Amino acid sequence: MTFKNLFIEHRRTPEAQAWIDEEVAAQEQRFQTIEKQMRDLAPQREIWYREFFDRISTIGFNADGDDKVRIKPEDLPVQPEGRRDRVVWKHGTDTD
Amino acid sequence: MARPHIEPFCDRDVNFKNMLLPGFGRGMGYKMLSLDNDTGACSMTVQFDGGYSQAPGFSWSELEMIVIEGELQVGARKVRKGHYFFVPAGYALPALSSTGGAQVLMMYNTGEPSHVEATEHHPLSQVDLYHDIDSYMDIPWAVGNVTKPSVASGCMIKLLNYNPISHAMTFLYCMTPNFYQDNISYHDCAEESYHLWGTSWMMQFGDLPSGGYFWRPAYINHGAFASEFGCIALGRTDSKLFNHFHYNPWTTPVENRARSAARIYQRDPLLYRWMMSKDHNHPHSPQDFEQTMARRGPDYDHAAAAVSDGKEHHHWHGHHHRHDGDHDHSHSHEHGHRHD
Ligand SMILES: [Fe+2]
Repeated sequence: MTFKNLFIEHRRTPEAQAWIDEEVAAQEQRFQTIEKQMRDLAPQREIWYREFFDRISTIGFNADGDDKVRIKPEDLPVQPEGRRDRVVWKHGTDTD
Repeated sequence: MARPHIEPFCDRDVNFKNMLLPGFGRGMGYKMLSLDNDTGACSMTVQFDGGYSQAPGFSWSELEMIVIEGELQVGARKVRKGHYFFVPAGYALPALSSTGGAQVLMMYNTGEPSHVEATEHHPLSQVDLYHDIDSYMDIPWAVGNVTKPSVASGCMIKLLNYNPISHAMTFLYCMTPNFYQDNISYHDCAEESYHLWGTSWMMQFGDLPSGGYFWRPAYINHGAFASEFGCIALGRTDSKLFNHFHYNPWTTPVENRARSAARIYQRDPLLYRWMMSKDHNHPHSPQDFEQTMARRGPDYDHAAAAVSDGKEHHHWHGHHHRHDGDHDHSHSHEHGHRHD
């Protein structure tokens, strides 16, 4: 991907705009489905988090490449009070 | 508003739709993977039916393609799976066809899909940037440490496209069977991936199988990582890829971004202070003098300005043996320090 402004100005046809509008609507549907699936995965994820904590405190945390650092159990994080587990962020840092 | 977070998604779960935009002809199906609501830029799995053909022409948008399956005739050349194309906007590709059908991942980076019949490039096209390669056969796998801290060994890459200004990358990556990497990662850039084959697992999103896809905005946690039987995928970033590793699965993108800024402060405090304190809240980015400085230009008298043939070095303190006449070794020591 670039961002070299490799785009040539042109007038977008009504046809193309209609296509985009349709795809945007379909994408919103897809997003809703994914968000629900990922919410439903939360109980499984909780187990995965615990297994992750077990591994990084016994086998080690990959600090850089294959360099592993064992995290002391007392240094493992705790879930902040009142914060639900969330993995889908629609617009990244701009998500509501 | 840019592309939303689409993760995980699998194109096997949906049907192909007919591409009805003008210029593409009949026999082109697509599955939308992600789309920018404003610009129409998008990534799609595309099916060209057997017998499909497309006239020579260009797109208004920059385009990247990789053949997933089948054979594609591009002008006089036949290309197969793993063949990658970087096509600048306005670059006229020759006629494209497929006898037996083909699947291609098509990524329109800067605008909606478009095809304008033409045998010549658009005058504004940056044609020098075009390149294509058989990424399966003609590039060796390299260790994945294109950035440091890096992925664990067992994740390897083939770099396909690199933007020297933004450091954006397109690359193939693979994970060996039984790959695992126990950390949580996030980046200061968006990241995209399409699984050409195989399954990998991430602690947040579960398994991503063949045809699996994600578009992930910056600062979103992903990992730990594993692949039981291995996988091969096409990956992209939209600017420099830096791996911010940590082990707190409950952080938010806003917290992750703050940590990125904190790390700049810790690493480049002078630059950070300047950026935070100077009154430069103008809407544009800071000026890069290399993009704005006065340059000689084509009409400048380069010959008049030149003082050497480029091979004289007045800063070298060597003995300049003057060969005037017949071996008259006059040993004149020239210590000409030119500081003009
Ligand atoms: Fe990543």
